[in-house]
Amino acid sequence: MQTEILARPSAAVARLTLRAGETITCEVGAMVAMSTGFQVETTTRQRGSGGLWAGVKRMVSGENFFLNKFTARADGEHLIIGPTLVGDVIHHELVGAGTLIVQGSSWLASGPGVEIDTSFQGIGKALFSGESVFWIKCSGRGDLLLNSFGSIYEVDVQDSYVVDTGHIVAFQDTLQFTVGKLGDSWLHTMLSGEGLVCHFSGRGKLYCQTHSPPGFGHELGPMLRPR
Amino acid sequence: MSILAHDILEGPEFALLRVQLQNGQRMFAEPAAMAGMDTSIELKAGLKGGLLGSVGRMFAGESVIVNTYRAAQGGGEVQLAPAAPGDIVHYGLSGGRLLVQRGAYLANSEGVELSASWAGARGFFSGQGLILLQAQGSGDIFFNAYGAVLQIDVTHEYMVDTGYVVAFEDTLQYQVTTLPGLGVARTAKSFFFGGEGLVVRFSGQGKVWIQTRTVNPFLTWIYPYRPVKKRE
Repeated sequence: MQTEILARPSAAVARLTLRAGETITCEVGAMVAMSTGFQVETTTRQRGSGGLWAGVKRMVSGENFFLNKFTARADGEHLIIGPTLVGDVIHHELVGAGTLIVQGSSWLASGPGVEIDTSFQGIGKALFSGESVFWIKCSGRGDLLLNSFGSIYEVDVQDSYVVDTGHIVAFQDTLQFTVGKLGDSWLHTMLSGEGLVCHFSGRGKLYCQTHSPPGFGHELGPMLRPR
Repeated sequence: MSILAHDILEGPEFALLRVQLQNGQRMFAEPAAMAGMDTSIELKAGLKGGLLGSVGRMFAGESVIVNTYRAAQGGGEVQLAPAAPGDIVHYGLSGGRLLVQRGAYLANSEGVELSASWAGARGFFSGQGLILLQAQGSGDIFFNAYGAVLQIDVTHEYMVDTGYVVAFEDTLQYQVTTLPGLGVARTAKSFFFGGEGLVVRFSGQGKVWIQTRTVNPFLTWIYPYRPVKKRE
């Protein structure tokens, strides 16, 4: 599969060119346009991720229950996919045993060799701020496409690093983390206006986004008509 | 060749259209698109193309009123900015026809006639609003998008999610359909759960312009952040 990211960084989309028989699994609704030689299938699961039960888990965790699988019937078929919010798209290649933990709404698509598991609760469990955050554990080998709200920047964590949970796109699971408050006390946390933060330690790659979707949502929400 | 001397600035994210009108020259634009202009420009809000044409545009989801800008004393400059952040595209018509998705129309020069395209009625019930304006004649038309714009040269067949279609040449045939390659039951599943509702299937030869974002998913995203109405 060939990947080309267009219109970076503010309204990025990925243009994927596939060979005959190649497959890509996308977030529902991600398809923008495509050539006509694709077999499209709505699946409830990703290969090797445990059938219907895995689908139910995806539903419970807030991730869409259904995924769309596109299989090219001929060489050179192409597909354009994009996310909902304004922002960037990046391509990350999983090699060997490298596992990436992806913030749920940042996962856009993955190749057939990538197993996606939504049962990972490491950070989600610790979040009781009312945001429905879920995490996807991506492991195996192959292509992974991630999207961000705003642009994406990479941090090579060498020792330790702190990020607001709303700004996390993905991180390698070689990193350890704890979720907590930034200040010494809850009062301090409230006054500082910072939400929950993630303390990372160890060595590994961390992808961050310049804007926090819940932050923007909470800023706009009160200005809208009640539902 | 274009009739209007223009340039598109700050694209693709925050495009702005700047037009230099010569003395006596006129252009037409969507109301509320004017960001700035020289004082030598006369602005006239009004119905263009008579009542019937205006009603047609109303059906197509565009405002009935198209503003007319005319350089009265010498030349002058008009700057037009679409409401949504995104790109602007210029297309030169020379006798052909261009179909523009509702809401994407920004401006046109003299010589271009706009009307509602009833061929778009096929998409009328799709719920996704593939409602089209038809531009024909000779001259300039400008359209805008939410996000960036990609130009696709269709040589045989191509499919675009209905919400992402901005404009296309009418040398292309088009059909609103569900994603193909699925049986009836699978189509139903894909349609209701797959998110990829309806697509426009283009065939033939011609250009299609697509936008890289749509507003509707953004509205769906913001919905949970709305305050909840208090019950008495």
